[in-house]
Amino acid sequence: MRVAAIDWGMLETLLALGIVPAAASELIQFRRIAVEPAVPRPVTDLGLRGSTNYELLRIIAPDLIVISNFYEYQRPMLERIAPVFARPVYEAGVAPYALAEAATLALGERLGRQAEARRYLDDTSGEIARLRASLPRSSARPVFIISLGDSRHFRAFGRDAMFGDVLSRLGIENAWTDETSYSAAAPVGLEALARVPEASILIVSPLPADVGRSLPTNALWNALPAVRGNRVAVLDPINHFGCLPSARRFARLAAAALAGHAS
Amino acid sequence: MTDRLATGPLRVQRALSPFALWSVLAAAAAFLFAWRVGMQWAATLPGDGTDLGDVILFYSTLPRAAVAVLAGAVLGLSGLLLQHVLRNPLAEPSTLGISAGAQLAMTVASLNAPLLMERSQGLVAFAGGTAAVLLVLALTWRRGLEPVSVVLAGMMVALTASSVSAALILANGDYLFSLFIWGGGSLVQQDWGPALALAVRLAAGAIAALMLLRPLTILGLDDASARGLGVARHTSRFLVVALAVWMATTVAAEVGVIGFIGLAAPALATLSGARTLRQKMIAAPLLGAILLWLTDGLVQLAAGSGGERIPTGAGTALLGGPLLLWLLPRLRMFEWPRLGPDGTSPRKASRPWLLILLLLALTLIAAALALVVGHGPAGWSFASGDLLRDLAAWRAPRIAVAAAAGAMLAAAGVVIQRVTGNPLASPEVLGVGTGAGAGLTAVLTISATAGLGWQLAGSALGSLAALIAMLAIAARAKFGTDRLLLAGVAMSALCSAVITATIAMGNAQSYILLRWLSGSTGEATGLDAWVALACLLPLTLPVFLAARWLDILPLGTDGARSLGVPVAAGRLMLIVAAALLTALAAMVVGPLSFVGLIAPHLARLAGFSRARVHLAAAMFLGALLMIVSDWLSRMAAFPYELPAGLFASLLGGPYLVHLLARGTPRQG
Repeated sequence: MRVAAIDWGMLETLLALGIVPAAASELIQFRRIAVEPAVPRPVTDLGLRGSTNYELLRIIAPDLIVISNFYEYQRPMLERIAPVFARPVYEAGVAPYALAEAATLALGERLGRQAEARRYLDDTSGEIARLRASLPRSSARPVFIISLGDSRHFRAFGRDAMFGDVLSRLGIENAWTDETSYSAAAPVGLEALARVPEASILIVSPLPADVGRSLPTNALWNALPAVRGNRVAVLDPINHFGCLPSARRFARLAAAALAGHAS
Repeated sequence: MTDRLATGPLRVQRALSPFALWSVLAAAAAFLFAWRVGMQWAATLPGDGTDLGDVILFYSTLPRAAVAVLAGAVLGLSGLLLQHVLRNPLAEPSTLGISAGAQLAMTVASLNAPLLMERSQGLVAFAGGTAAVLLVLALTWRRGLEPVSVVLAGMMVALTASSVSAALILANGDYLFSLFIWGGGSLVQQDWGPALALAVRLAAGAIAALMLLRPLTILGLDDASARGLGVARHTSRFLVVALAVWMATTVAAEVGVIGFIGLAAPALATLSGARTLRQKMIAAPLLGAILLWLTDGLVQLAAGSGGERIPTGAGTALLGGPLLLWLLPRLRMFEWPRLGPDGTSPRKASRPWLLILLLLALTLIAAALALVVGHGPAGWSFASGDLLRDLAAWRAPRIAVAAAAGAMLAAAGVVIQRVTGNPLASPEVLGVGTGAGAGLTAVLTISATAGLGWQLAGSALGSLAALIAMLAIAARAKFGTDRLLLAGVAMSALCSAVITATIAMGNAQSYILLRWLSGSTGEATGLDAWVALACLLPLTLPVFLAARWLDILPLGTDGARSLGVPVAAGRLMLIVAAALLTALAAMVVGPLSFVGLIAPHLARLAGFSRARVHLAAAMFLGALLMIVSDWLSRMAAFPYELPAGLFASLLGGPYLVHLLARGTPRQG
């Protein structure tokens, strides 16, 4: 069965189930900011996620198109090409990990890969449990997971973001307790990080261009206890709206960074 | 040119003393600030080692208030200088392409020279803003920097620059999140650096402006009088514009785009009784400071702990839009130059209908080529047979929608430019296009995953609401063209603020809105195409039938009335038709209003001067422009589809600017 993926989370999931899609969206950017799983060369790029190249997709003529609820508006167009598969993963106020598990199982079932899907679920929860056990006791501090908008603003990942959900599954308290919408809240000034003085900070890449120069001279940033206590780490890029493969990648990178803080 | 002295000081209505009003507003801003400081004092954190509460107060709260006051003052002064020297009450950094130029420079630098951005973001923004203004000035140099041409060229540069920025942001995803924040204009501070930079600019700007007081006063007169008084017009104007740009780009680089203050502060200063330039130069920065300080206080008040719901830059427009609407009946505008023999119509076509047939043929050929020629996975291809039938199902609707939208916007543009007698007017100033965007935003805010049907319904309701509000305001002024334009600008600012605020959130909705804003034809279905084509005829027919009014209305109210045209009723009918055309086009392809601005000008420059042929030619040109743009948007970065709006402005903008620059040097 030839599959095309519009949504990045579903692209990850397909690759995790051992299915190489015929086509997927925005691969240039995916390889740069979602990084894994690696997308094999022959996969055709369908252009921007927000404006799929329908003509090209028509020529490729897949048997199934996987999207997510963010791309529902494309459904009428896509259904003219092939049946569309969609499961919700990100819903406001809902922790996404369990939804991602359900979506993975459903996709596995749709593609006749139930066993692989089940195994991937177990592997992922197993890896998270292993990482949780490996974290030193001293890393019991709450943690902010943020992405920097510029040298003055950040977005926090709360409990309805994949990163926030995985953090709690690692047994770590999320220092950001406010509402967020989907995975990322509106940009907040860095001073909000002072609300939880004992917290550590994990910054998810990529970093905006001006941060390298302006952040070290930012008086308030330098006064934050986490910065003075050297409890800030920059993680490699991870897909913000990912599914289980992103959850795993985040768990691994976050655990490594936090272990580094404790030592 | 009209005599500037005759339009002199604006009328003031003294319902309550302006001084008392502004004192109350300033006190409100100060109270909000004091309350915030008090709250922080009370909630001083226990702290470990240092006192974090003090750090936040000293490095965040205090510099933020300082930046609000200083940036407001800088923008007020910059806007005053620009408006005065260009003699255009709508001139401000955004209408001159300064903000858009700065944003484009920062976008390009983030992508291609991150090191440069890292070193000196401010310098990049300044370079971009300066480049935009230099381009505008260079293009209008031969026309003696005539005010109308300067602003027209400025708008073209701005539209082109923002389309390129939008396309780059779209093509680069999350990476440019910082530009969302920048576009929203956030006053969040963690240092005294920006406050100091702004203080230096304000001081330098104020001193320079005072030194330029005499030449400035004379520049406020018309060109002939100014030359008679021996002022080197170009040099003085250039100096003043450079000063204003320098101040405006500093604000843009330090805190992002803060719209509206530069537009509103000088107008409010005049309304509050500032008559001489010296008085205005004191009042405008003061009022700008009060406005921005108060807005920022309210924005912080509305902010939850989860972040600010509205960026300050969008907040100024949200507050300023209604303010301007309230001001409208109280404001008297400068006289606008009219379309006429002194315009840019170099020649008259001898056989216009033959030329129109040629345009029709060109449009059909372009549509046919766009249908057949394309890019496949294996490279360029001419589709035929089964493949063509297959692809036509995708290509034909978007070609038809693009053509219909282009024709509608062009028709709306012709109507608005003729009814208002203002060559700068475009369907965008009606506010219905951005009203559609505000409606779309509302739907997306309720549900980020709303289907296409809901999105269309939201857009339609948004346009309708904007149109009704506009007409209600214009009716109070008996459909005077100046009020209509200002009401439209205010409405656009208001709706754009809603859109910007949502885009600044940087979430899934942002991308849908950004895509809509940049004008995408990608989702067009066969139904869309039939609806658009079916609406084209009934909506443009009455306009064609009213062609005589369109010939006469540019002559001005008195002239039109003496020729027996029912001025108010005629304007109302024409504006409603134009608004419906714009709303429909905006719903299917976004607010591609530059087509509505460009196509009528291209038609006029090609020699179509009578309303009927002008309308027909503009519609074909609009359709042609959009067909070619849509095709380019699919082919330029295959398989990545870029917004058609980008190519419409890239194609039409430079040509229009070229024609403007080539136009006969102005007399006077």
